[in-house]
Amino acid sequence: MMKELYFALYAIKKNIQSSAKLRTSFLMNIFGVAVNNTAFIILWGFFVKSVGIIGGWTVADIIGLQGFVALCFGIVFSTADGIRKLANYTASGSFDRFMLSPKNLLVRIATSSFGVSALGDIVFGIVCLGIFAFLINATIYQILLIILLVIISTIVFLAAAIAIYSTSFYFTDSSSVTDSLFELFLTPSLFHGGAFQGVMRFIFTFAIPSLLIGALPVEIVRDISLGKLLLVSVLAIFWFVVSINIFNRAVKKYESSNFMTFGN
Amino acid sequence: MKEIRLTTKILKTLVKDRIQYPDRLFVDTIGIIARCGILLILYWYVFKLNNGVINGTTFLFAAWSIFFYFSFSVLRLRDISREIMKDVQTGNVEVLFSKPISYLSYRMWWQVGSGIYSFVVITLLTVVALIFIIGLPPTMTIGIFIPTLILTFLCGAILSLFLYTIVGLLSFWIEDINPVFWIVDKTIMILGGSYLPIAFFPEFMFKIALWSPFGASQFVTHTVYETWQTNWYQLLGIQLFWIVLLGLVVYFMFEKAKQKVSVNGG
Repeated sequence: MMKELYFALYAIKKNIQSSAKLRTSFLMNIFGVAVNNTAFIILWGFFVKSVGIIGGWTVADIIGLQGFVALCFGIVFSTADGIRKLANYTASGSFDRFMLSPKNLLVRIATSSFGVSALGDIVFGIVCLGIFAFLINATIYQILLIILLVIISTIVFLAAAIAIYSTSFYFTDSSSVTDSLFELFLTPSLFHGGAFQGVMRFIFTFAIPSLLIGALPVEIVRDISLGKLLLVSVLAIFWFVVSINIFNRAVKKYESSNFMTFGN
Repeated sequence: MKEIRLTTKILKTLVKDRIQYPDRLFVDTIGIIARCGILLILYWYVFKLNNGVINGTTFLFAAWSIFFYFSFSVLRLRDISREIMKDVQTGNVEVLFSKPISYLSYRMWWQVGSGIYSFVVITLLTVVALIFIIGLPPTMTIGIFIPTLILTFLCGAILSLFLYTIVGLLSFWIEDINPVFWIVDKTIMILGGSYLPIAFFPEFMFKIALWSPFGASQFVTHTVYETWQTNWYQLLGIQLFWIVLLGLVVYFMFEKAKQKVSVNGG
């Protein structure tokens, strides 16, 4: 287990060093993503101004929501960007080289690529959560909750990404399917959390875990709700176990296309 | 004549391709459900909480306006930026420059061709579904609605192509245009009336949306409101102004860009 972790950290370090070589592009990507994400805060901020407070959600909560989602997205796709490329790997046959590697298959795939722009999401996420904590006058207890919830949400995000991209093994040209499923998961997570009520809230909590990575963590921090914290934690563990199972089952579907794509 | 033949050929080939391989249609359908569908359900709930009226607008107007934005986005005209960047990065641009066709018009028609099939299918189905579920606002049943909608749609498409082509042409000077693309794309998203219908815009934001090329490229979202009946010619005028101006920018940028290319053969 420790060996795998060391390997993952080594691969991530090398990926960052390689990306940082193109300094201008590297910095512009980080800046561009931060601007890109700010758009959602502006939109939902004006929404709150026009519509008023819905489900107890204020502009501060919107900032917190964007912070949680951006940070999860950034952590997962900067360190484990390879998951997003699973559809390409299986379609092109380059998945063979991962199967031949003596390292853990999932760790090897996940760390095979590094998303530079995702670093911008991390910076943006941290800034937003800082502003969120300031605006709600967060106590030490709430700050610790934010840190804990970032970890839990990241696990949910990672689990969802693994489960979604594992479907690559079931289709011939799967990138369109995986991209659609990922969009169905990610897009609602960026929407105003207070507007999700009744059936919609149930669906996007239990069937599609979009609210687990942003809306519910914000509500937990704001209301200091231990009941919701327990629910999110249990669902995080559930989704993680399920996603690993899905991945392991899906890999068995893979048939080598005998392409010699060594290296890289 | 040659231009028309090339255009028809590109459109025909791409539509046939999309019919044969419907995966793009699948992606776009899920995309519009994830974005527009869920958003409309949320707005329905929000309007219900506010007794059906927010900022003097009802759900019926807001829903159609939001739908027009997302329907227009199915055309994926914005992807032209990345296609140009890909051509420059892979060197494909050298091959295309050496062909007896205009590179930019080829890229623009290619972009229209790749999205038109999904656009037609999804728009028709969603329009029928929306009419049955929420109905039509009275502003969409008057005589000038359809002709002006088509006009503003065409102008919006040309303007979008010009805006994103300018971003794409930047790849002749900078190695990665993605950050610029994100900024332009999100400005259009905000000012176009996507997640926030234009009826909800504060005064200053509405003015920016009205007078900037970013908002003008999405005037199709204005067509459902009552104000459209009185100021449609003004909005079309603004669109035409930006088309001429950005058309000139595209022309001069492309002339400069061509000088940056060195064909190495191989």
